[in-house]
Amino acid sequence: MARFKELDPILHSQLRLAIISLLAGIEAAEFTYLQEQTGATAGNLSIQITKLKEAGYIKVIKKFRKNYPLTLCSITSLGQKKFIEYAQALQDYLEPEKPE
Amino acid sequence: MENEGKTMTGEESLRIITEMINKTKVNISQSSFHLLFWGWLIFAISLSEYLLYKFTNFTSPYYIWFFVIPGIFVSVIYGFVNGRKARVQTYADWLYMWTWIGFLIAAIVLFIIHSKRLDTFATYILLLSGFPTFISGFIIKFRPLIAGGICFWIIALIVNFAGSSLAPLGMPVAVLFGYLVPGYLLRNKVGHGTI
Repeated sequence: MARFKELDPILHSQLRLAIISLLAGIEAAEFTYLQEQTGATAGNLSIQITKLKEAGYIKVIKKFRKNYPLTLCSITSLGQKKFIEYAQALQDYLEPEKPE
Repeated sequence: MENEGKTMTGEESLRIITEMINKTKVNISQSSFHLLFWGWLIFAISLSEYLLYKFTNFTSPYYIWFFVIPGIFVSVIYGFVNGRKARVQTYADWLYMWTWIGFLIAAIVLFIIHSKRLDTFATYILLLSGFPTFISGFIIKFRPLIAGGICFWIIALIVNFAGSSLAPLGMPVAVLFGYLVPGYLLRNKVGHGTI
């Protein structure tokens, strides 16, 4: 379990990991799309998006479409890098120890 | 989905990553429209051109190809309106769109270059058409479309050597197998939203 603690604490949370995994494969996604795909409440999703944004892992753009507010999220290059590092650390953790 | 306050195991992390990545595969809802729209438009135009050439005294039946211009407007407007409605844009969606825009530009350039030798235009446009079809098949991971692209290339070869009596039939046959068959097969999959 020692190596598991090395996983990025920003990403090692169910909802934040789900958000970053969704954004990793796409150009940009609306807040409502993320809510629908993760099944999270708007309040919880908003909090986790803010945490990811403050860490510099995602970019949030707010604009209007037909007078309705629209929140668009996209992953940053730092977010991509951290996501890859997290996936690699996870792979190391899940792989059985190789005999010397 | 819960968030903090609960320890997440490695297996759970992996499950979340896999589940979420699988949700962001290519959106194909637009692809079948464009394939069927262009399939039927080009099929009708090319077949009409052949019939005009064969059974009438029109000296320039290829003028019927100008019907492609309103087709471009329909396609662009449909793509723009539906693109604005889309709540998510994948990298593959961008790649798919720019592949076809690139093809359109190349086709216009080819038309300008070849405007004085329209009798051999079919071979080159078939050759060019195969490329975005083939690539699109790989982008959306849809084998009938990959096969459709190959069909265009095979028919381009046949048209080149078939002689003037059979060559005009090359285009309708090519769009039948290159656009229409994959387009209908794709439409059946649209119910699932993604491939």
